[in-house]
Amino acid sequence: MKRIIILMLLLYCYAVGTLAVNPAPDTLIAKDDFAASALDLRPYINSLSDPEGHLTIQQVAHLPFTSSPHYFHNFKKNNGQVNNCWFRLQIKNEGSDSLSAILFAGWHDFMYWYSKAPGDSATLLMQTGLMYDKGGVERWDHYGFNVSVPPGQVRTFYLHIINKSYNENPLMPALFSEQAFARFHNKEQDSYRKEAVIIQVLLGMLLVFFSISIINYIQLPDRSYIYFAIYILGLILFFALRLESKPYQLSFFHRWPMLKYYWDIPGLLFCFYLMYLMFGNTFLNLKERYPFMEQVFTWVSTVVGGLIIVCIYCILMEQYHLPVIIYSYVYFCTLVPFLVVFVALARRSRHHPLVRFFLYGSVCLYLACLGSFLMHIRPLGLLSALGELAAPSMLLIGGVLLQAMFFLAGLSYRNKLVHLERTRTQELLIKQLNKNKELQRKLNEQLEELVKEQTTEILRKKQELEEQRKIQLETEYDKKLTEIELKAIRAQINPHFIFNCLNSIQLFVMQRDYEYAQKYLSDFSYLIRKTLDFSRRNFISLADEITYLNTYLGLEKMRFENRMEYEIVVDPEIATAELEIPAMLLQPYVENAVKHGMTNPQQPIGQLSIHFNQIAADMLECVIADNGIGIARSRSLRTLPKHHQSSGMEISQNRAELLNKMYNTEIHIEIIDLSARNEADSGTVVKILIPQL
Amino acid sequence: MIKAVIIDDERNSRDIIALMLEKYCPEVTVAATASDCAEGIARIREHQPELVFLDLEMPDGTGFDVLLGTREDVSFEAVFVTAFEKKFLHVIRCAEVELILKPIDKESLLQAVSLVRDRIAGNSSKQRYQVLLENFHNLQHASWKLLVQDTNGDTQTIFLPSVECLEVRQENCLFRTDSGQELLAERPFRYYADLFSSLPFYQVNNMQMIQLSNISQIDASHGKVLLKSGMVVEITERRRKDLLSRLQR
Repeated sequence: MKRIIILMLLLYCYAVGTLAVNPAPDTLIAKDDFAASALDLRPYINSLSDPEGHLTIQQVAHLPFTSSPHYFHNFKKNNGQVNNCWFRLQIKNEGSDSLSAILFAGWHDFMYWYSKAPGDSATLLMQTGLMYDKGGVERWDHYGFNVSVPPGQVRTFYLHIINKSYNENPLMPALFSEQAFARFHNKEQDSYRKEAVIIQVLLGMLLVFFSISIINYIQLPDRSYIYFAIYILGLILFFALRLESKPYQLSFFHRWPMLKYYWDIPGLLFCFYLMYLMFGNTFLNLKERYPFMEQVFTWVSTVVGGLIIVCIYCILMEQYHLPVIIYSYVYFCTLVPFLVVFVALARRSRHHPLVRFFLYGSVCLYLACLGSFLMHIRPLGLLSALGELAAPSMLLIGGVLLQAMFFLAGLSYRNKLVHLERTRTQELLIKQLNKNKELQRKLNEQLEELVKEQTTEILRKKQELEEQRKIQLETEYDKKLTEIELKAIRAQINPHFIFNCLNSIQLFVMQRDYEYAQKYLSDFSYLIRKTLDFSRRNFISLADEITYLNTYLGLEKMRFENRMEYEIVVDPEIATAELEIPAMLLQPYVENAVKHGMTNPQQPIGQLSIHFNQIAADMLECVIADNGIGIARSRSLRTLPKHHQSSGMEISQNRAELLNKMYNTEIHIEIIDLSARNEADSGTVVKILIPQL
Repeated sequence: MIKAVIIDDERNSRDIIALMLEKYCPEVTVAATASDCAEGIARIREHQPELVFLDLEMPDGTGFDVLLGTREDVSFEAVFVTAFEKKFLHVIRCAEVELILKPIDKESLLQAVSLVRDRIAGNSSKQRYQVLLENFHNLQHASWKLLVQDTNGDTQTIFLPSVECLEVRQENCLFRTDSGQELLAERPFRYYADLFSSLPFYQVNNMQMIQLSNISQIDASHGKVLLKSGMVVEITERRRKDLLSRLQR
């Protein structure tokens, strides 16, 4: 832009040569051929400074103006204070036609254009200014002031310029013919249009970013989005207001001309700092990732907040240059700390990918700012360059765009990270769930196994216990059996019988009846031998049993001097040699029968019969019958005390039970007292049923 | 001459007793024989014998029945003859009544007859049979009486539960009762040790036998048994265990 202005000025200078040179230094002599050119008015303009700003046009008209070229400059200039000055131009029309030209002195904050005919009082022809004019795009035409001097007359024009802003636009008064001004206007419009388009494109892009971040924020309430959106909104406002100072361009905020100044004042750039810091803080999640940096950011934010308040105060007091000074120092002071912060963050970037995005963006802006600053230094000088830092050079715009894009990318990446995190968390959750399920399943299995084991253990123990009990019972049985067997043997081979037999033998010997003694002795020996033999066996053949009983009864008969008769009847169908019966089962009953048969006073001869019958295919019946007094009377006859009772029968009953249990048979013993059925009868019948295995 | 009656249900037994008496004891004459209790009582009353050979088990009763039926009117000495006896052995022995086992051997018959002969001369049988029948009826040793012939030849009656202990005294046996009485029996310690072995007595050592109910304390560590009277007897380790197991039963 400046180059264009410089070119323009060069053009003016060239054009000046075509104007007629006025002999009076402070009066411009206009000729007829003026119309086609532009004239540098610097030599013809005298000026008056009014630092206090109290002077009115009436006062000024009487005050002396001096020629002071230092007021004029064709570049932006930092005054460092309010510039309030008056300019006076006298034009004398020597031509035939009235002079109608246009004076253009640059874009300034307040401009007043007065015209004064000699002897007349000055009249205000135009009032305009960047801080004053609220007009739309047409306001840019207000800056070309009409200079009309009738032929042959002299007119004095006063231009009052007040620049409240610290930066003063180029102040280079020139006189244009109407055609020349139209050309100038077109050129300016063209040259500023480029900048305006760039800004508008930038605005569009920023708007897109803004929309994206807002949408993202709605979708994903992340504070960093809203900070970014605010930051972008600030940029949009900033650049939109930048349009305000582009001559001949459409703008958005022309109704509030002061706005552009507020945003133009570098002090307000602190707002960007603030948002930038806040964004960085939340974006990088410094609170968790880098607590120290978070503290630094917070402190700096606080300081920046304070600075913003100070700047606003200064602006309100119309001390526009003070914020600039503050900003300049802050800018210089923060250059190195910013670098340090970047380096510190960079060192973290390996563990924190978001830092990279933030850093690239920041460095882009930083370098763009620095570059733009350096570019401004040469034409503007250090302080002015600082003031213009915020002005959107191409470099700066590029930097801002890059930064915004990096940040947006960073936010997307952050989203991705969040998403990844969420997915990972979900996956972890699912994994954990699965694990839990697995664990539960395992636990269940273990529990089941445990229960199973325990159940098995309990069952095993129960079985063991049962076995033990069984063993115990069996041992008890065995013991009882042995006991009973021993008892039975003793009872069966009645010692009485044995010793009485021996006694009898003794008698035969003493009587010298040797043959009888020998027979008796051999029978007795047979009986004892068989008894000993049978007592070791559980089963004997029926033939053996019959022989045994025969021998026994023979001996008994001998003892009782033939007062006893007996018979053993065997069913001829029975194969006595093959049939087996429990050993010594019958003997006690036979002995009892002998005993009872001998005690019946009504029967001189005891009758005893033993019958073996096959009552069924597998059932042997043995009937032992006597004609004695019967069990009941036998018992009542006894004078022995009650606890004296023959245990022979009981033993044999026990024995039958025991045998039944041991061999799983069904030996059945029935004892019938005949006298119980019929008084006339007497005797006992013992029926023994022996099942055949 | 000693008049005798033989009561036995088996003819062979009667015959052999008679035969042996005839052969070895000529001073004994058999006045009658009987084959059962009732006949036996009748024969005793009829012949008034001085000696009766009694079978223990007969078809209509036991030898005790015969004694019961005749003790009131006839005074005689009894000799039990049995083939095998366990139940009444202690009853008979405690009353010092003679018992011969079949088959009869000459020595025991002679010894029994000679003892009976002395008793008939001493005429001291009334008390003996009284004790015998009492013991027979009680059958619980808790109230038995014991007839003991002391070294002086006198017969003493001891209440069996009052016996505290028996001790060896050379060839004799010393009885101590819980009342502090001491009695020196004619018979040796071994005789009583055998007789009491199935009664609630226990031989704690080679010299002493005690009644179980009199034990007040057993000192295991020193191998001593304390009796209720305060007397202390020694006991060997093996016998102590045996005693304990018996007491538990």
